[in-house]
Amino acid sequence: MPPVIDRDKCNGCGICDQHCPLDVLYVENDVLEVRYPDECWHCGVCRQDCPTGAVTIEFPLIMLAV
Amino acid sequence: MRNGEVYQIDTDVAIIGGGTAGLNSAMAAAERGLKVLVVDKANIARSGAIAGGIDHFVAYLETGEPWDTREAYLKYVGRVARGAADLKIHEAVYCEELEATIERVERIGIPLRNPTTGEFYRTQAMGQPGPYFINFNGKRLKPKMAEEVQRLGCQVLNRVQVTKLFLHDGELGGFTGFDMRTGDFYRVRAKAIIISTGNTSRMFKAQTGNPFNLWYCPACTGDLHRASFDAGVELANMEYVRMTIVPKGFSAPGFNAFFGMGSHLVNSLEERFMERYHQMGDLAPRNYMVWGALQEIREGRGPIYMDCRHLSEKDREHLFTTLGYDKDTLPDFLIKKGYNLEGTMIEMTVSEPMQARPSEQCGSGIKIDENCASNVPGIFAAGDSSDQMGCLHMCTAGGYAAGKHAADYAKKVKHLRQVDSKEMADERERVFRPLGKKRGMPYWEFEDIVRIITTDHFGPVKTENSLETAINKLDWLDAARTDLKADNLHELMRVHEAMNIQQVAKITATAALARKETRFPPYHYRADFTETDDEHYCGLIVVKKDQDGKVTTRFEPLSYEA
Repeated sequence: MPPVIDRDKCNGCGICDQHCPLDVLYVENDVLEVRYPDECWHCGVCRQDCPTGAVTIEFPLIMLAV
Repeated sequence: MRNGEVYQIDTDVAIIGGGTAGLNSAMAAAERGLKVLVVDKANIARSGAIAGGIDHFVAYLETGEPWDTREAYLKYVGRVARGAADLKIHEAVYCEELEATIERVERIGIPLRNPTTGEFYRTQAMGQPGPYFINFNGKRLKPKMAEEVQRLGCQVLNRVQVTKLFLHDGELGGFTGFDMRTGDFYRVRAKAIIISTGNTSRMFKAQTGNPFNLWYCPACTGDLHRASFDAGVELANMEYVRMTIVPKGFSAPGFNAFFGMGSHLVNSLEERFMERYHQMGDLAPRNYMVWGALQEIREGRGPIYMDCRHLSEKDREHLFTTLGYDKDTLPDFLIKKGYNLEGTMIEMTVSEPMQARPSEQCGSGIKIDENCASNVPGIFAAGDSSDQMGCLHMCTAGGYAAGKHAADYAKKVKHLRQVDSKEMADERERVFRPLGKKRGMPYWEFEDIVRIITTDHFGPVKTENSLETAINKLDWLDAARTDLKADNLHELMRVHEAMNIQQVAKITATAALARKETRFPPYHYRADFTETDDEHYCGLIVVKKDQDGKVTTRFEPLSYEA
């Protein structure tokens, strides 16, 4: 599913949570959760703005297979 | 789930929708010394169509070339957007602002020129008589504009969805909205508002079935098209459904970059087919490219491909970089699918339709005049959500123009207008009603039904019969709105979006019924009136809801020099 978080790199700063245009990501108690992965627009904002490089984008099979 | 607090805000100018147009409006109003509030459903640092980046800015630059002048540019606009673009407005909100806009974008920290050469990198596509696209790295344009708005002291409400506009004696009074993270409810009074909330996505079925895998921003759901329509604001250019050519599997932009760099669209027989449909071939206006692609696929010559094999290595590298400026994750997607820059043709398809402008050179939504004003005093519009602006160049330049005019208007208004407190309390009750219901319909089910109706009956081919059928079904669906439930505030936001999409779909179908001709095919393709009829329909279909709830349409002609 689209943004995949490297738990070792994520420092829970919350920038991706604040910046996601689709309200997909939630940081609560310093822990990041990709709460609505199906609502990802693949804009790459979370990856671009992550200060620790913790975000990679994984495309669901349906996008690659059709 | 507990509802949050209620807050009252009074301001001079409020901007609803903090995308490109809205932020430029905010800059103009704040520079004129007014109290400015910006409300956005996301965060203004990364919201709207260019949240993740943008790669092109349309401009004429008066370099001495015959095509590079204001006159040549306006002629081009009249030619490609005939019947939808009002050239007087175009001149006022874009041409008059262009030079200052380029200066402003570069001043806030995004160079439009190549930083090493100091030159503009310009490409040509979409019916342009010369290279009007400036290619640039706009990946950080949105956060830079947001910083400028903060620097100018504007108040910002992020993650707030506006739900209703309130009038007083026929003039703007204020609006309400709720915070999708806290449940707080805002009651705002303003002397003027600028609506800049984009168009309506998620209105038709998407290629992979996921309504968020879209070309344009899926957060734009016609919220303020619906709210302003309910308040008696006139809308225009609403009959058009816009589509583009996208990579198979991923509805991402990239069209300008591909064709600007000289890529060809070919069918499965490796024929360059666009010449069959438009004299400019691959450089034709967008609607003709979509039209051509649809015919090739329908007639059995699909799949279609983007052929980049003939490009030089340098141009291919530039293309790949530019694609990533416009859609950050597109290069990753292409690599993941196994495309390399050397010899692969990239499979393309036609994107989902959406409610939006038929040409790059106009808009679709709130009908504005040369002062960016709607028919309701105090309500202005800018950017994609107006009927005359679209794309980065118009949203930056025209957004700023709207901010100036709204500020001038607000300065003349002595007192904030009264808003009925009970009406606002009733709205709060309505807004939160779906929350915490134990049983009911989830937003996505309701939205899926809307998409099936729209796609079956006008996505994009339409007739009088199909449009009337769609309107009847969408009207019948009204009864299901009270069944909608939300388990949390995020879902509550989606519930309101889904209802707005449904209402805009009705407006689009109603406007399409009134245009008994075909224009910008397939964006308005009437199978029962397949010819373009300039004698009767060169102009705007204006749609409006009266105070008694009756929806009416009227035609407003537009004229162009030969």
